[in-house]
Amino acid sequence: MSAAIQTHGLTRRFGRRLAVDAVSMTVPERAVYGFLGRNGAGKTTTLKMVLGLIRPSGGVARVCGVGVARDRIGAARQVGALLEAHGFYVNLTGRENLALTATLLGAPAGEIDRVLEVVEMRREAARRVSDYSLGMRQRLGLARAMLGAPPVLVLDEPTNGLDPDGIADMRRFLRSLPERTGATVLLSSHLLGEIEQTATHIGIVSQGRLVLEGELTRLKADLAPEIALRTSDNRRAALLLRDHHLAPTQVGEDLWARLRPGDDVDRAAAALNQALVQAGLSVFAIGARDPSLEDIYRRVAAPVPAPAQRRPEIA
Amino acid sequence: MLAVLSVEARKLNRSLAVWLAVAAPALIAVFMFFNLLRGHAPRPWAVWMQASTGVWAFFMLPMSVTALTALVAHMEHGPRAWDHLRALPVARWKIYAAKALCVLGVVAAMSVLNLLLTWGAVRAAVAVKPVLAPTGAPDLAGQMALVGKVVAAATLLTAIQLWTALRYSSFVPALALGIGGTFFSVVATAAKPGVFFPWQMPVNMLSSEPWRVSTALCLGGGLGTLALVLAVAHLARREVL
Repeated sequence: MSAAIQTHGLTRRFGRRLAVDAVSMTVPERAVYGFLGRNGAGKTTTLKMVLGLIRPSGGVARVCGVGVARDRIGAARQVGALLEAHGFYVNLTGRENLALTATLLGAPAGEIDRVLEVVEMRREAARRVSDYSLGMRQRLGLARAMLGAPPVLVLDEPTNGLDPDGIADMRRFLRSLPERTGATVLLSSHLLGEIEQTATHIGIVSQGRLVLEGELTRLKADLAPEIALRTSDNRRAALLLRDHHLAPTQVGEDLWARLRPGDDVDRAAAALNQALVQAGLSVFAIGARDPSLEDIYRRVAAPVPAPAQRRPEIA
Repeated sequence: MLAVLSVEARKLNRSLAVWLAVAAPALIAVFMFFNLLRGHAPRPWAVWMQASTGVWAFFMLPMSVTALTALVAHMEHGPRAWDHLRALPVARWKIYAAKALCVLGVVAAMSVLNLLLTWGAVRAAVAVKPVLAPTGAPDLAGQMALVGKVVAAATLLTAIQLWTALRYSSFVPALALGIGGTFFSVVATAAKPGVFFPWQMPVNMLSSEPWRVSTALCLGGGLGTLALVLAVAHLARREVL
């Protein structure tokens, strides 16, 4: 699979601050690539360098093989972008806003109806953008990004401001895009759940560095399996788990026990259940726990400073 | 370039900039209407037209350029549209050059509108008080040539105001500069060095001293064009963070 977006050693400094530190990422063609990281981790700066909006201090970015620094306009022809700031002219209607971009892109007039149809906004297109809700602006932004059917879409926090139905629609829409249009989607977000339900590939950026990248299913499969359990005395259960060389973590009323890579979960759960019962503990629930994107994220990203968001380890 | 220019023009549709473009010359026309009604004897057409162009060049043009450039720039700063615009496959200098041409075009249109509205105001006043009908015929061709020179001489102040408005996302630097420039232009009208002051260059087109006209026209037009080119080049190259 060839790369729709590729960066190599992409670096950006703002004065003394290193915002992006040698990021080398590969977004495969027709992937939905979730670009994850906390606010301020360097996501937007990286995207801005990919879009040619700011110059890198070092490294290169390529879109569909075109070097952004060498041929910004050539690279920009391959990309449609939905950025955090929509940049709509509120005195104009949705259709008029799209028409401005279509004129600059040299796209045919029919393109406007096509993209309005895709985001289901044909009826609202004649209204001024000043009357739009945030969710409508988000959808209009997506329509504008798709003008001219670019092979790559760069979307910065596309579910911002959407209501629950809108978020679900957006998820379905983004997931289906590669199949429907052949487009590659680079999706930036700090919401793990959004990425988990949408992306086929992920890249995690922490403190300006790309700390993990890969296909989401493979990354999950590579995680050590875990067992979730609830007992009459989780404290004693945790001690017992440690005796069995399993790393216990208290999450709410549950205990999660991380197995060793390659362990058979069913056998381990059965053995653990037996050990807990023999120790006189009542086992209310026990079973394999599917690894989540949050598990991956917690293991590779720098710890969150706020203690409330930490998952407490039990000694 | 024509496509980018048409986009810039279409952005003005239903915007505050359009209201300003009509309101500023209309204020002068209203003033001329009541000023004529105050008179007791008819005066030549040339006096009224010259007075209108004088007020325009002296005060209203610099203030209108200040407001217009701030409004045009804020159309992009307000919704933070620069990222979208600058990410498009269009040479960035074209975006800024189109904006500059659009502003110059609106200033020229406002200047011509000022003449037309003044003509209308004089006609309206005469309809109320026929005894004050101006003598002679209005020299529209001569007045248009004068207005052309005023607009050309205003290129430098337009370039300075536009650059400031586009460079800084806040209204304040551009407004402070424009208000300050117009203020000094008004309070130091008689100052000889005023001919070298960008905000006074337009009004110098009405001077009876030919050297003032040619100096202000050359500096305002020539240096103004150069300043516009440099402003466009600088804005296109700089990063918008």
